[in-house]
Amino acid sequence: MRIDVRPVSRLRGDDPLDLTGTLGPVIGALCRGTVDLARVSVVCDWVQYRENFREVADCRPVLAQPRPAGPEVAGGDGDGPPAETGLEIVVDLRRSAGADLPAVISGLLDEHANPAGSRRVPLEPWGPARQSCIWRFNALYWQALSHWEQATGREYEQALPGGQSDARNAAAARELILELFKVWDDLDARGALPAELYVVELGVGNGSQARTWLDEFEALSTAHSRDYYRRLHYLMGDYSPHVLSRASKAVAHHGDHVSALVVEATHPSVSLGFLQGKAFLVYLSNVYDTLPGDEIARIGGRPYLVEVRAYLPGTDARRIARKFSAPAARLPDLVGKLLRLGPELLCEAFGQHFEALAEAVAFWREVWSALRLQERYVPLQGLDEYPLTQDLTGEQLRSQLEADGDIRMHVNNGALSSFAETLPLLHPFGRLECHDLFLSDVRQYRTGFYGPGKYDGSVVNWVNGPLLRHVGGRAGYDVAIAPFAQRPSANVKTLTAQVRE
Amino acid sequence: MSTGGRLLPTTVIGSYSVPEWLGRLKNDFYQRRISQRYLDEIHEMAIKAAVVDQQRAGLDIVSDGELRRDNDIDYLLARIPGVEIPQRAKADYFDYYDAVLRRPLPHAGGAGLGLAGDFRFMREQTDLPVKVSLTGPFSLARRIRNEAYPDHADLVRELARMLADEAGELARAGAAMLQIDEPFLAGYPEDVALAIEAVNIVTAGADVSWSLHVCYGNRYARPLWEGHYDFLFPAVKQTSVDVLALEFARTGDSDLVLLEQHDWDHGLGLGVIDVKTPRVETPEQVAARIRRALAFVPPDRLVINPDCGLRHLPPDVARAKLAAMVAGAALVRGELPVPTEREVASERA
Repeated sequence: MRIDVRPVSRLRGDDPLDLTGTLGPVIGALCRGTVDLARVSVVCDWVQYRENFREVADCRPVLAQPRPAGPEVAGGDGDGPPAETGLEIVVDLRRSAGADLPAVISGLLDEHANPAGSRRVPLEPWGPARQSCIWRFNALYWQALSHWEQATGREYEQALPGGQSDARNAAAARELILELFKVWDDLDARGALPAELYVVELGVGNGSQARTWLDEFEALSTAHSRDYYRRLHYLMGDYSPHVLSRASKAVAHHGDHVSALVVEATHPSVSLGFLQGKAFLVYLSNVYDTLPGDEIARIGGRPYLVEVRAYLPGTDARRIARKFSAPAARLPDLVGKLLRLGPELLCEAFGQHFEALAEAVAFWREVWSALRLQERYVPLQGLDEYPLTQDLTGEQLRSQLEADGDIRMHVNNGALSSFAETLPLLHPFGRLECHDLFLSDVRQYRTGFYGPGKYDGSVVNWVNGPLLRHVGGRAGYDVAIAPFAQRPSANVKTLTAQVRE
Repeated sequence: MSTGGRLLPTTVIGSYSVPEWLGRLKNDFYQRRISQRYLDEIHEMAIKAAVVDQQRAGLDIVSDGELRRDNDIDYLLARIPGVEIPQRAKADYFDYYDAVLRRPLPHAGGAGLGLAGDFRFMREQTDLPVKVSLTGPFSLARRIRNEAYPDHADLVRELARMLADEAGELARAGAAMLQIDEPFLAGYPEDVALAIEAVNIVTAGADVSWSLHVCYGNRYARPLWEGHYDFLFPAVKQTSVDVLALEFARTGDSDLVLLEQHDWDHGLGLGVIDVKTPRVETPEQVAARIRRALAFVPPDRLVINPDCGLRHLPPDVARAKLAAMVAGAALVRGELPVPTEREVASERA
């Protein structure tokens, strides 16, 4: 049996974790069961998000064979449970002290031995995490933000740890603008400065970043000997026309200097292809961590895809079903309808369950709060067969996966796709700057939990910075990850990418 | 460039598609997972496959795809006596070495860069004419930290002499078509006279058919510089090369007029395939590009090639692009007057 304790930093100090208090009951329960202990791994995490997708403990089978191609029936496991080569028992140390672990583990082992008796209510079939409905919930949150905010009584920025997005940081904007001025001065001196100076922001939120940046730019440009403001084009890109419209109002005083474009964050080249080699700055703040992504694990030296299945725990499902006058078995369908239609149309179409919009939003919030992810490891037959993005194969993961023993890590497919398609937009002297939750070293995965978790109604997921660095490097860009200069202790880090050689 | 009198002969610039799996194996070598012997055998098998691909596409002149070369510089740079490479481990095979030259290069006399052996291997694989390319002295010098020569130009000239020796070795091995690649020249247009002087030193080393390839860079499938070929003229008229191979497919053909303006009376290697996009050209597009060039260069002085090496293209795309290039050339060839026997004999001579 392997025991993998990740939050090792919490085992020392003034208030160290009582690890044995958790492991003892877990191992005791395992020993009382019939599972082959030689194939069991116990993984201890510390899930820092108060709202998350995990129960205090769960079990994750390590499958023996790759999943056959084709869709899987929701909730079904075919003719029986697939063959396994191992079983991972995962425990959240943050919550384990108050839990009846022997009962929890015994229950999990019983469920594992008899999946048909499971009380979980699956909301989707097994699949890669990037395809999970949690990302559709995430999209719904941003699309129907006003309804969510109305229900909670607070704006989304207030849900952020600092109560405000880092996008509003004027000092950071000034620093960036002055660096741009330096580049442009040099190019101008060589007669190589283009007539139009493009700056792009992807994921514009409420427009506060654009407003801060443009106001600073105009002021600094006025003070500068060359009037760059005159030549500036600030392009705001977002997938939501509603968001763009709101952001445009925030920067209306900058008139023709600003354009708003609908941009699919994971495929920016579709709408911004005309900017190839022209953008001097592409700016993103807290975009990558909200884009769908998978996780890949190396277990016993072999690569596995982490497959997930969203579900509602039985007790929550029954409670929600009762509250909205629906049988529990109907919940997956109602959740699907919510994600397709949004809360407004949901209450129009299913008045028998939701008399008014407020009730549809309440249903949304209750389901989201209860939603959990079940996980299993599915073998990958060759990394090249795993589609990292539309254009990149899983071979890009090899150096990280093979660097140093077994590991489980994010692959952030959406962020990678966005990043890889954004780089070609850069002018040879341009840069991409991105503030987000980046890991700076892949070894961090061995000692910490980095999502997914829940922030309000959205998904938060850290970004595998070293993977972006690798992909950028292989495309000929220098990629650096550094602490956020204006708030060095923050989890948010700054990633920059510039043309190399 | 002799191809038995065939008009519009088709060829590659040099490098051929490096499949992802081959890149992985090259990296495995640098991670010490496979031996040099395995890697050599892998390269030989890959080269054989590349030759078959080129033959099947219908090319008139083939190359070994430069599949042994990690990139456009290191293969030669690492073999030059006196050039030190302090760190030979690489995170990725495609990365450039950091190279330093602390003392002047040894004087000429058998450079031994190994290209003659590579040519002999190729000669055994195909009966088609084989072209061998050498990274030019100007570009090689840009990747060396020069602590040996107070005047950088002297380093370029010495490298040229070394390459001239290598060309002589190649000629003695039977090579009849050699090409000098200067991928960095477009970034230093002010140095074109030095680069051309060095080219002439190299070409003096072997009495063969010489090409000079100048593009705007293809590292990471991205142009390193933008601009026009104006900078090459009139300096390039001083070269002794038979063919000047330039890129036109990506950049458009506005520079073709330069050849007419400057009375370029040697051959032109016309880039008709954009190697920076996976979008495959149609034979009609290729034909249109050739027809436009014919307004400036007569058909007996045109060689048809891609803009640059095919290294960054996936194998299926590289094959399709070569097939389109050959088909496009055939379309135009069919429209040209049939050369007389005397003209064919003259070309063969």
